[in-house]
Amino acid sequence: MNAQAQISGQESSTLEAATERAIPRIERLRIRGLTKRFGEMTALQNFDLDVEGGEFISLLGPSGCGKTTALNCLAGLLEPDAGEIELDGKSVVRTPPERRRFGMVFQNYALFPHLTVGRNVAFGLEMQRLPKAQVRERVDRVLALVRLQEQRDKHPAQLSGGQQQRIAIARAIVTEPRLLLMDEPLSNLDAKLRQEMRTEIRRIHQALGLTTIYVTHDQEEALSLSDRIVLMRHGVIRQVGTPREVYIEPASAYAANFLGARNLLPVRIAAVAEDVQVETRSGIVLRGTPRGSFSAGDEAIASIRPEDVALLAHGDGGDNTFPGAVVTVEFLGRGIEVSVRSGLAEEVVARTDDLWRQGDSVALRFPPERLLVFPAEDPGEMV
Amino acid sequence: MAGGRPIARSSRETAPWAANIRRRPRTDWRILLLLSPALFLVLALFIYPLFYGLRLSLSPDAGGLFTNYTDFFGDARERATIGNTLRLALPATLINLALAIPLAYRMRRQIRGQRLITGLFVIPMTLGTVLLAQGMLSFFGPRGWFNKTLLFLGISDDPIRLVHNATGVVISLTIAEFPVVFLLLLGFVSGIDPNLERAAQMLGANAWQRFRRIILPLMIPGIATAFALSFVATFAVLPSAVMLGQPAGDTRVIALAAWQAAYERFDYSAGAAIAIIMAGIELLVLVIVIGGQSRLYRGPATGGKG
Repeated sequence: MNAQAQISGQESSTLEAATERAIPRIERLRIRGLTKRFGEMTALQNFDLDVEGGEFISLLGPSGCGKTTALNCLAGLLEPDAGEIELDGKSVVRTPPERRRFGMVFQNYALFPHLTVGRNVAFGLEMQRLPKAQVRERVDRVLALVRLQEQRDKHPAQLSGGQQQRIAIARAIVTEPRLLLMDEPLSNLDAKLRQEMRTEIRRIHQALGLTTIYVTHDQEEALSLSDRIVLMRHGVIRQVGTPREVYIEPASAYAANFLGARNLLPVRIAAVAEDVQVETRSGIVLRGTPRGSFSAGDEAIASIRPEDVALLAHGDGGDNTFPGAVVTVEFLGRGIEVSVRSGLAEEVVARTDDLWRQGDSVALRFPPERLLVFPAEDPGEMV
Repeated sequence: MAGGRPIARSSRETAPWAANIRRRPRTDWRILLLLSPALFLVLALFIYPLFYGLRLSLSPDAGGLFTNYTDFFGDARERATIGNTLRLALPATLINLALAIPLAYRMRRQIRGQRLITGLFVIPMTLGTVLLAQGMLSFFGPRGWFNKTLLFLGISDDPIRLVHNATGVVISLTIAEFPVVFLLLLGFVSGIDPNLERAAQMLGANAWQRFRRIILPLMIPGIATAFALSFVATFAVLPSAVMLGQPAGDTRVIALAAWQAAYERFDYSAGAAIAIIMAGIELLVLVIVIGGQSRLYRGPATGGKG
């Protein structure tokens, strides 16, 4: 509740108190060739990643892409079939989870239902056999950090979903883990709470600087939280980069599609010059920006974001412009999203601030610099 | 089902703006009508016989209202049956719990051969006490395989007496009640969210700490139920106490006392009185167990929204 509204003087001093403490931060996490098979299925294949201390990394991808498998291998809850995990040069692959000193936040929070909030948070510290006074002090401090001091003596079942989530985070960070692992921590929350918790997680990360690996299937979450995003598919890393890089320079049609380019058109390369001319299945010829090297006749995929599609009342006969008709209109608050049927085989989704109604005839324009053309890759599985 | 709707609706109505407030659901008395068939069965099959027995026990052939009860507690041989029975029922129940808790914990997740192992554990339930006692008499008897093996291996010079005494009865009760206790606890422990253990592990808890601090406390309601079921069943023991024990001495159990009163002395009233005493003791133990359990933890075993 009112998470942002309440950053008072007392609050910021708690933050300072939390940051003051020198958290033993790792320098580098190095993952090489991590592979995990379940029977015939390879859930994770040759996962390589270098993480700097203090970085916030998101593993992003649809369900079944191997992101949770990667996280569980990191945690030690799954034993990889091959690969190496090194923390500051020391391998931890053979270290059991209880001795890795990692923190983990589970999708369903996994709070101990028989223990109070205070005892839940204290659990990891008690396992370290810290003196009682110190446990109490650190529990107080972390509960202040997540703003739940008043709930200390309640049981998890008495808390709301968002509060449970914050307790789960508090429990994972109070031990000052070398690595913080989060497994889709926001997926059980409703949309509004998810936004709030996202800000909260960002705030905690900025306050403590814990090296964090965050698993999500939500591109918005990944874009807003991460220092770098690891985009995965079918157990393989497809692209690693900052949110900006991944968003603006997607390396593949899959990446573009997963990060919001909802319009995908299977095309054939018609001509290659400075830009590339492509012919759609229905014969319309478009100009686009190549992402990869092509020669005429190649199969390719052209992609464009809904917000990059221009809708005009009248065709001006210009490049990449062709007529269509509005099929559906969705009101989004800020602007609308319309589906347009045109000479293309596929319906095109466009986002606009103008008011269009179902049945309106429009002209679609794909700005050539925004129509990205990628090498073809099994388009059937794309969406 | 029609009666079920109002409660469901009212909880949905409060949900949007009062999700965090736990409100006591209002009782819809019409729903309780749905209990009437079950209530009738309970009345006919349980309450009526109970009161019939109670009345019977209070109308002795001779003497005042409580003659049967004063006779029972006045006679040292009769009185001793309570202790005799407890000395069989409590060890058998506790041994079963001690065996079943770690075993159920080990088997909480699917392991290879799970069904075979579970099947083997459950077989005793299908045997029946008489067949079990018969088998034990020959297996554990002075010339049975068990003692023959011990003698052959030189582990002991004399046959160990394992039948025709309290030990034999405890063994047979343990075997007979184990499946119930094990299955109940297995169901209970596999209902505990495996992420709780993983969470504890990530927080640095080793296997023993995870069991002691997380699993065991969450199993307490199951353990209490298993204890209650096993205790009630073993407290009513009759066949194995007679066949495997010393029905004239150590293992003269309270059920046997009731049986002898009713069918050897044909004093139904005295028999009924002993049966009521038996029920009273069982009830007392159940109250203690259930009361003790609710002082400990009683709640969901999942944690968070699953």
